[in-house]
Amino acid sequence: MAQNATIHPGFAAHSGLDRAKHINYWKRCLKTYLPHQYTSNDSNRLMLSFFIISALDLLGALLPSTTPAERADYARFLYSCQHPEGGFRGFPGTDFGQLRNKQNKQWDPANIPATYFALSTLILLGDSLQRVNKRACLRWLLQMQREDGSFGEILGENGQIEGGQDTRFGYCATGIRYILRGHKTGSVLGMPDINVDKLVDCIRRSQTYDGGISEAPFHEAHAGFTYCAISTLSFLDRLPNGVGGHLYHYGNVRLSGLTDLDLTVRWFVSRQTTTLDDEEAADTYSDETDTTATCHDAHSFVKTRSVPAKSDETCEKDRPPPAVELQWIGFNGRPNKVADTCYAWWTCASMAILGKLNLLSYTENQLYLLSKPQHAIGGFGKLPGDPPDIYHSYLGLAALGVLGNDAVKPVDPALCFSKHGATLLKNMLWRKRLLGEPGSEGPLVDSDDEVIETAEPRGRGVDVRAHQNLQVRYVRRGSEGETTLCGDGESTVASHDSDQVTLRGE
Amino acid sequence: MGVYSDDPLWADVEPLPQDDGGPNPLAAIAYTDEYSEAMSYLRAVMASNDMSERVLSLTEDIISMNPAHYTVWLYRARVLLTLKKDLKEEIAWLNPTALNYQKNYQIWHHRQTIIDALDSPEGEAEFIAQMFERDAKNYHVWSYRQWLVKRFDIDDESELKAIDELLRADVRNNSAWNHRWFVVFGRHEGDSLDETVLERELKYAQAAIYLAPQNQSPWNYVRGLLRKYNKPLSTIKPFATEFASLDHPDDVHSSHALDVLADIYEGEGTKADAAKALDLLAQKYDPIRANYWTYRKFLLGFPPEPDHPIFHHHNY
Repeated sequence: MAQNATIHPGFAAHSGLDRAKHINYWKRCLKTYLPHQYTSNDSNRLMLSFFIISALDLLGALLPSTTPAERADYARFLYSCQHPEGGFRGFPGTDFGQLRNKQNKQWDPANIPATYFALSTLILLGDSLQRVNKRACLRWLLQMQREDGSFGEILGENGQIEGGQDTRFGYCATGIRYILRGHKTGSVLGMPDINVDKLVDCIRRSQTYDGGISEAPFHEAHAGFTYCAISTLSFLDRLPNGVGGHLYHYGNVRLSGLTDLDLTVRWFVSRQTTTLDDEEAADTYSDETDTTATCHDAHSFVKTRSVPAKSDETCEKDRPPPAVELQWIGFNGRPNKVADTCYAWWTCASMAILGKLNLLSYTENQLYLLSKPQHAIGGFGKLPGDPPDIYHSYLGLAALGVLGNDAVKPVDPALCFSKHGATLLKNMLWRKRLLGEPGSEGPLVDSDDEVIETAEPRGRGVDVRAHQNLQVRYVRRGSEGETTLCGDGESTVASHDSDQVTLRGE
Repeated sequence: MGVYSDDPLWADVEPLPQDDGGPNPLAAIAYTDEYSEAMSYLRAVMASNDMSERVLSLTEDIISMNPAHYTVWLYRARVLLTLKKDLKEEIAWLNPTALNYQKNYQIWHHRQTIIDALDSPEGEAEFIAQMFERDAKNYHVWSYRQWLVKRFDIDDESELKAIDELLRADVRNNSAWNHRWFVVFGRHEGDSLDETVLERELKYAQAAIYLAPQNQSPWNYVRGLLRKYNKPLSTIKPFATEFASLDHPDDVHSSHALDVLADIYEGEGTKADAAKALDLLAQKYDPIRANYWTYRKFLLGFPPEPDHPIFHHHNY
């Protein structure tokens, strides 16, 4: 870029990531108690678990930092959060153990994001998902979709779907669907598919006049919700033709999930900002403080009348600064907001899915992450100078992976974990068989699963009558250790508990 | 020894400790004794569906430590409704709680449940104004406000007036612009488009642009309006030219005006002019998006040098 003569065009910021310190940060998160301040995130423990394991994987440090026995323990913990009616709890804190019954089960539901994170973490641990109650999970997933196509977070009293209208839940729900059944449509394991068309329609209606996507129709566009929607469309293979890796068609009736791709790209490009912290922000309720030096994108070539901020002060701004100051370009989540580490992920990953990453100032975006919110003790803070936290540390790292930093493994932008993890998933034999991949012929069940009886389907609001005869129930056939290629190629034996019987609680 | 175990009110409850599923659980948190104890009592009362008064103080205690607990709020709402408690008191308790946990989703859902049951929006406008004093772009509050407007069919005029006040305070408040769009178009889907509304809204957004020409929110609003009404962008060519002109490349007052002009020139077929506007953006007036402007120029048939960053290989 001509205006950035100070930066070598081929600059790869590998030297800027203090890999050893990041690894130490994550090892502390893994092996010691998280400080009590995380209590307010207790309900999100499976999300925190995912970030910790996946960060170490992205840094190539998962296997060197853990023993096979520890990884088996981590998997056991995750499976202990598996819910008797499918899916996973968000944390062990709602589990009533032996006291669980029909009257109290609504206070201990499975949780949509937790389920996506549990499955993802298990994949990264080298677990082959053999102990996941897949059919129960798919049935529960059907119950989690609303009439309007959106997904909720949990099932409450009387099957009421709780948790707000929010593209995050659609993202996690379709992520679960992708992990368990790929792009396959129709009935799988005797369970019908979710209503893909309605979900796509829901996303289309959530696109805003400025090109972003919001949590629900007419709400404000937000980079996190837009990422979730675009990844959902990727999981559903419903991006516009020519975008992303999946170009196959089902006749000409497929509805593309984006109403205006160019406008969405423009909206994402506009998330780039050099307003990097609150003091520099033009959007705070304090006085207008953006200056030539700090607020390039809000430089407001104001003519004469000028009352843009809350105060009555006149906002005087000059021409753009010299190019040398444009080394750091961060991302905000909405127009006129301050940059925040996590939006580097939401924006870069979305643009990667759309095949438009090169339209960002990707060199300066890396430099922003490495120079500003990266913390001296490892990890990333939300804003420059903030202490690191698990959420921003993970998304900052993952964003660097998308941006091609060579100290971080390449990232699958939709799955939000390494491409290595995505390959582990794709190579799972049960999944290849389920998807009917050539060379994986066999029955549509795991080799060590056995059909023993039929059960009534309970799909909520879904016509499953046609599938009744296909309802099957699987029981693990005793413990069979399985050799799994795990992590960076190390071979490990994942033990299988024989007590994990599917569809408990029926 | 603990708050609950020492209290005779809880003597009949057998606390239910947490089971972390074996050694080496993930993301284990150094819980305080207070939290561990309260959670053990919460599990016990939830397990027995205890709907007594004491549950309210217990849930309040949990919420103060873990407001994101996704069933404690539902449980609390069930107890409140079962005991037929005065829901106005609940709102009085919720107000300071919401101010303390501004980014919490569950609080707003709970508020929705309670206000829905009260069947009156009385006091809500004042509370929302209080929240906006802390953060006028709080996403949860704006989402809740949309629900409130729809639930109680609050009239357009009072909403537009409230938005106008917020925009007078901060013309860059994109949340307020978005809410304006919702009020104007969100509740009247299917209605035929009223040209007088277009005129009114164009005038409003253009007045805001005069105040702060570099503010992207009203420019986006204007583009959205023209798209909605199927009007060409050239409708605002004279307006955009007030802020940028290729004849005066050193006297540009808004990069967004240049962007609009680039689109207009492209539509008019004067690609060379569009390319000039994009060059000005890439090199001078919006260099942080230089790759994007270069790409736009490329789409017009003006490719950059072959080793330009937009051609670099990314593995996606």
